[in-house]
Amino acid sequence: MEAVTPPDPAISIKGLSLSFEQDGRRTDVLRALDLDIARGEFVALVGSSGVGKSTLLRVLMTLAQPTAGDVTIKPDPAAHTALALVFQDARLLPWRRVLANVAFGLEKKTSATRAERRVRALAALKLVGLEELADRWPYQLSGGQRQRVSLARALAVDPSILLMDEPFSALDVATRENLQDELIRIRRETGKTILFVTHDIDEAVYLADRVVALGGKPGEVRAVRVIDAAHPRKRGAFQLAEIAQAIKADMTAEAAAARDDWVI
Amino acid sequence: MRQKQLLLSALGLLAFVLVWELVPKLSLVSQSLLPAPSDLPAAFLREFRSGIWFEMVLLSLDHYLIGFAWGAGLGVIFGVLTGMYLNIEWALAWVVRLLRPIPNLAWAPFAIIWFGVDQAAAVFIISIGVFWIVFFAAQGAIRGVDRELIELADAFGFRSGPERLVKVLLPAATPGILVGLRTALGQAWMAVVAAELSGVSGLGSRMMQASSLLATDIVVVYMLTMAVLYGFMDAGFVFAQSRLMRWKP
Repeated sequence: MEAVTPPDPAISIKGLSLSFEQDGRRTDVLRALDLDIARGEFVALVGSSGVGKSTLLRVLMTLAQPTAGDVTIKPDPAAHTALALVFQDARLLPWRRVLANVAFGLEKKTSATRAERRVRALAALKLVGLEELADRWPYQLSGGQRQRVSLARALAVDPSILLMDEPFSALDVATRENLQDELIRIRRETGKTILFVTHDIDEAVYLADRVVALGGKPGEVRAVRVIDAAHPRKRGAFQLAEIAQAIKADMTAEAAAARDDWVI
Repeated sequence: MRQKQLLLSALGLLAFVLVWELVPKLSLVSQSLLPAPSDLPAAFLREFRSGIWFEMVLLSLDHYLIGFAWGAGLGVIFGVLTGMYLNIEWALAWVVRLLRPIPNLAWAPFAIIWFGVDQAAAVFIISIGVFWIVFFAAQGAIRGVDRELIELADAFGFRSGPERLVKVLLPAATPGILVGLRTALGQAWMAVVAAELSGVSGLGSRMMQASSLLATDIVVVYMLTMAVLYGFMDAGFVFAQSRLMRWKP
């Protein structure tokens, strides 16, 4: 496992543990997790379901409270907001038209006028290529379009760090690949720090600068791999496939080791 | 399809009126027990020319609209509060169970004592019926809002009660609240008659006067008046509802 400590981390997680009690039984979700993410870095967090990936994002958003550990977030002072989250389901508000959905987060800042909010929401919508659908209702959109609107809603608040929770996992292959390439372009244009959660290792390897694999119950870091291939990357390229294989091997080897502990 | 629907509903109504006409005319029952539809226009014209009809309609509409507004407004407020805050719901749970089963009409003596034989007494009785329907509808609708939408509001920083209410809870609960309001729209007309039994002037009291004199044709004139008023209101409500719910496919 390579230990990579970026010099000026945007997110710094030290010894993070989280457990919750239900019906008197304690369930550990995350244990002693350390992770630093550099400013402008694109980190993909992989791991099977139930390993605590989404929980980690919720902790960062302060939607969940950690049991122990420290989370430090150093947002870019030029950005308007520290963090924004893109959910797995697009989670649009059905009673708002597309543009009003994109403007949702902007309404928190009461200083901005309606016209300013509109301009910024339109700019975000343009960034995801949907400005001509501004007046549609969410039910009139396809799955891919909804997820684009959801991405625009997060981008509209101009976050320093973009958190994405398996945002493309519910889409068909063609739409997913299309959106992956769009995300790479948007990242290039905006320079956002991105923490991208997925269970698809190939997706992680295609998108990220660094892949962090979580495993076990409670979840802990099993492998960290730097992907230094330049963008645009070629899908299914030998080099990427090898890294993906290596990450899978890391995870299964660790899993096997964990199983061996239980052999009497 | 649409034509067939119109045709059948017109035929159904026609058949109903025809049977209604034939039963008293063939002396199956006495005309004083059931007035025939053909006798009604004359009865209506008598009431209308004397100016009583118009006066009674205005009085009842006044009771109805003010009572509905009070009941609906308070119903939404208390329904939303108990739906949002479990503490308030728990505090009020047994008060609700105590008051809810009391029939509107049982409040009449108190209404008269507190407000006199006056418009306010009728408004009070009407608003109670409306209140309960809207209260339970609003509470259920708020309680039923998708938790994921609340999480979304949290993620974008809308974490206080009022912010959640305005950004997510109220818009998401609107369809459910509107169902309650529409139910109450009909219920309130029933309450108008009950409220005016206590002597407050209006359609209901006029119906009671007429029935005590066995002027059943007048009674029917006011029954139909109420049906027509309700019909227009319900149609208007459905129109407003469809405008408000354009976001639904």
